[in-house]
Amino acid sequence: MLWYKAWLETRSRFLTCLATLTLFSGIFVHHAQALVRPEWKSDFNRLLFVNQQFLVIMWVLAVVLLGMGGIVREKAVGTSSLTLALPASRVRLLGVRVATGILQAAMLATVPWIAVFFVSTFARKPILVNQVLSYVLLLIGGGLVYFALAVLVSSLVAGEYTAPAIAFGVVLLGAIVFDSWLRQFNVWRLVTGDFSIDRGTYLLSAHPPWTGILASLSVAVLLLLASAIVVQRRDF
Amino acid sequence: MFFKLIPTTGQPLYLQLMQQIRHAAETGALRDGDQLPGIRTLAEKLVVSPNTIAKAYSELEHEGLLELRQGSGAFVCVKRRTRFLADQVHMARRRIRDLIERLRDDGLLDQEIRRAFEAELLYPPEIVTKR
Amino acid sequence: MTNEPVILTRALAKSYGNLAAARDLNLSVARNRITAFLGRNGAGKSTTIKMLLGMTRPTAGSGTVLGKQITNTTESCELRRRVAYVAEDKPLYGYMTVEQTIRFASSFYTDWRRDVEQKLVCDFELPLHRKVKMLSKGMRTKLALLLAFARRPDLLILDEPSEGLDPVGIEYLLQVLVALSAEGVSVFFSSHQIGEVERVADHVCILDKGCLLMDTSLDQLRQFYRRVDLVFSAPPPEREFRISGVQRIETSGRQMCVFASENAEAVVERAHDLNAVSVEVAPVGLRDIFLETVRET
Repeated sequence: MLWYKAWLETRSRFLTCLATLTLFSGIFVHHAQALVRPEWKSDFNRLLFVNQQFLVIMWVLAVVLLGMGGIVREKAVGTSSLTLALPASRVRLLGVRVATGILQAAMLATVPWIAVFFVSTFARKPILVNQVLSYVLLLIGGGLVYFALAVLVSSLVAGEYTAPAIAFGVVLLGAIVFDSWLRQFNVWRLVTGDFSIDRGTYLLSAHPPWTGILASLSVAVLLLLASAIVVQRRDF
Repeated sequence: MFFKLIPTTGQPLYLQLMQQIRHAAETGALRDGDQLPGIRTLAEKLVVSPNTIAKAYSELEHEGLLELRQGSGAFVCVKRRTRFLADQVHMARRRIRDLIERLRDDGLLDQEIRRAFEAELLYPPEIVTKR
Repeated sequence: MTNEPVILTRALAKSYGNLAAARDLNLSVARNRITAFLGRNGAGKSTTIKMLLGMTRPTAGSGTVLGKQITNTTESCELRRRVAYVAEDKPLYGYMTVEQTIRFASSFYTDWRRDVEQKLVCDFELPLHRKVKMLSKGMRTKLALLLAFARRPDLLILDEPSEGLDPVGIEYLLQVLVALSAEGVSVFFSSHQIGEVERVADHVCILDKGCLLMDTSLDQLRQFYRRVDLVFSAPPPEREFRISGVQRIETSGRQMCVFASENAEAVVERAHDLNAVSVEVAPVGLRDIFLETVRET
């Protein structure tokens, strides 16, 4: 019943974020006609692009929050003696937590865009399905690295509030540093679609940036492996 | 059956239990054929380790006072030897009564008499014979 | 069913920097017994238990629990299937209800006994639908203990189980320990309640500053550990009484007090040879034995 425990632990965080992201996206797209500026040529597509910008901020915040927890945090809270006494290996405990988080992250990317799709369809401004799919792919494929980063931080840092603070700090710092000196490696820009957007039509390119996505996912996998090693070696 | 095991006297608990069961057999509180509680039941009642009860029962079975039947429990069998012991104890008590009377006449308080008995009893038999 | 010890360590040690929490521990806890683990706060009891359960990695040495290596991750996971453990702080997940907690815990073990669980929920009067964080401390202690007692493991490890319980609760706890022991569960518990330990334990291990100072059966202590109070007409030299078994000698004027873990007869003989005016032998309770054993020399 480790999945049940992981669900109970993340349930309120997840549902709150899901509601927030979905409502935001839906309302934003629905009421954003007023935001459309006359000089925008491809107004509605640009709106969707802007939506993704906001969504990325909220989504990254959400998955960092979801990446918090684990047995290191349990040590700070005092329940690690219970969890570690269970006949379940630490890797399995981490694995269940990570898998739950990834599923939740995927839902947090998909559901808001589904809402956008329906809102715009009913507003008689249909959008291409492959655009929606591309935005979702960018979020999940490119963005899971943030989740993995949060998992690693939560495996290293024990405090209930220190861990998320440090995780957010690293994300922010990373965004600034990468944007200043290593712009082409900036995951943030990958996820928001900055690298794949056509500035004329404001449509995402038909060919998703697979190299970038694969690179990002590889880094995510490395970060998760590092978390597993850290957790395995730690004394409780 | 009422037993009282005191952890702080210098005597292992299983020996105390054995003595109390023997005493009960001597005074007739336990008669031939009576059943003693099972190991687990008695352990829970007295709140002592079941190993204590098991050891006491096992030793008494060796001595012939108890018969342990698989599944049914421990049964008392008072043999002639036990009755003989009961008589010995009876005589010993009379001698002790006389001794205590004399010690009281000498001016000793009951507390002092008790302590003297306890102190002497803690000498293992080997030392006593050497003296 | 073998006769091997349920817990066996060889030169087990753990240091945190300069601080040695456990030193060269050779612990051997036999099956089907109730073994008590005594020690002052900070003596290393909890650290030792954590090493046995794979929560902390030893700095040196090795150990087995139920025949499985504690330093091997797979074997450690296997042994935890057959071990029930309640930590000192009685940890529980605050966000789960009582019922969820029980369902969660029971899902991991094949030795779970639903009949005992239901009886305990009833006896402890636990409110099934209340969240753990809303429970009183006493209720939380009872629930934490229930998670261990509603099973029939091979080994039960308890760290200060009676903490947080009132006298009635403590009595109930001891009865449960005794009942489990009668069913073949080996019990290993640490406690500061020496009175309780004296009543139910078969064997006692005393730990101080990470070292195992004593490892004997309680019957042995009751039968042989003695305090000999002597009075002489002139104070004799202490060295006369430094014989095997003697733990401590205290002299005050013409009085001398000798603590002997065994061989008290030899002390008595020596006293008589030296013309002692008064010789009194008395048993020593476990509390005094413990204080004697851990006192600074």
